Amino acid sequence: MPFAGIDVGSLTAQAVLIEDGRTPMLKSIGVRLLSHSIRVKPNPLESARTVMGELLEESGIAWDDITYCVSTGYGRDKVQENGLAQANVSEISCHGSGAHALAPQVRTIIDIGGQDAKVIRVDAAGDLSNFVMNDKCAAGTGRFLEVMSRTLGVGFEDLGPLAFRARGKVELSSRCSIFAETEVLHYLQKGMDKSDLAAGITKSMADRVMALARRVGIEKEVMMTGGVAKNVAVRSELEKMLGVHMLAPSIDPQLIGAYGAAVMARRAVGSG
Amino acid sequence: MITLGIDVGNLLTKAVLLDRDSLVASAIMPTTGNVVSEIDGLVERVLSDAGVKRDDVGAVACTGSGADLAGEVDVAEDAVTCIAAAGAYYLPEINMVVDVGGQSITSVLLDEDGDVMNFMRNDKCASGSGRFLEVMSNAVGVGVEDIDSAVTGATKTVPISSQCGVFAESEVITHVNAGEEPADIVAGLCDSVASIVSAQARRFSSGDRYTLTGGVARIAAVSTRVQDKMSGTFQEFPFDPRLAACIGAALLAGLEDIDI
Repeated sequence: MPFAGIDVGSLTAQAVLIEDGRTPMLKSIGVRLLSHSIRVKPNPLESARTVMGELLEESGIAWDDITYCVSTGYGRDKVQENGLAQANVSEISCHGSGAHALAPQVRTIIDIGGQDAKVIRVDAAGDLSNFVMNDKCAAGTGRFLEVMSRTLGVGFEDLGPLAFRARGKVELSSRCSIFAETEVLHYLQKGMDKSDLAAGITKSMADRVMALARRVGIEKEVMMTGGVAKNVAVRSELEKMLGVHMLAPSIDPQLIGAYGAAVMARRAVGSG
Repeated sequence: MITLGIDVGNLLTKAVLLDRDSLVASAIMPTTGNVVSEIDGLVERVLSDAGVKRDDVGAVACTGSGADLAGEVDVAEDAVTCIAAAGAYYLPEINMVVDVGGQSITSVLLDEDGDVMNFMRNDKCASGSGRFLEVMSNAVGVGVEDIDSAVTGATKTVPISSQCGVFAESEVITHVNAGEEPADIVAGLCDSVASIVSAQARRFSSGDRYTLTGGVARIAAVSTRVQDKMSGTFQEFPFDPRLAACIGAALLAGLEDIDI
């Protein structure tokens, strides 16, 4: 009896299935987690259908086998209205419950997605106590890093390792992504080192996140979720600035929203 | 007295020659990285266009971001002061200048003497600036220069809700992919820029007689929409609005000669 979560973000969509030990064939291994991620389609419903459809096909599970599904993220209400999910929950709560299910000691979640950044505070039970969000400005979100990696001519995934190798740091004077693009192009023309620029870009990113975090406060333990959590340089810069060692989630941090939705699905039918 | 004004902007560098208060020659080129040689080139151009010898120039003024690179000048003033001087001198009835440049929006409130009473400036964020308009019109496949002609065919205004240039660009691409007409999207862009510009300017509620300067003021589709959203009286700047700060600098260089 799998429980499902679908998270449609601005850039990628994730589906997660969790099966607990009561599934006879899986009894021996206890909880099994299946996941799949895709680039988003033009509309959220299509994204949800595709990401879950592909996951089910890979796993040999039918739609009807899903006990309960929770949708979250962009267009979560549409996903539910069209019968793909039985309930929808905000991505803020889902990141909270996902992170808490993985590490009950977590109190602060820094979730940086493709088009927004959130700092989420949860209590000991994993329930939302406060949050702040920036979704108005690309600075401090995944989009900033995407624009910057394109400007540097490196892959999005390579930006973190590149910054990590830097010996120096070229700090950016622009916060605005559009101005920073011009600034970085100018530095590249002057022949500045790409890894030093990547380090400056990382610093700028972490500064924005810190400004957000200060508004809501940081309580230990801290976990980073969302796609940007995979950037090692941003993670380590934030750890330095916050003076904390962040919890490392045992699953892909980009899946935590969908995982949290699946956890909520399991809770909804009273088996978790 | 003939005065020379130089304005090093973020996107464009300009030079003007004024004979007292009349514009004799002007030249504009993109700001690249080599500001010193750009200035030299522009100065040569305005001097030869006007048939004026360098020695005949009574005073040199510089403004903008590269003002310190212009070498020895008689007057170095910030852009806000220069924009205000140009607005107040040529349009003595106004009490506000709203300048929308390549990377900034500046509203300058003037007192009865035409001096700067207060100003607001956004140059931290591309929102509503020339660069914002450029990024988004390019996403529709329309060059900034062609915005006015592109917008004439619009039958509606496609709303753009994002204020951030990066997010607005995605929004525009979504509209393009959804099959919206380029003219209607461009109308939406102009409306969005006009909303952002007028939102800043309206914060000076006493600024009820204003002019628009800066490169974006040249785009009629934006200028008219700003006027629609403002309650005060609009007066058109009598020269290429991109030259406002540069002309203001040149006026200030000849200040003893001219009563502003």
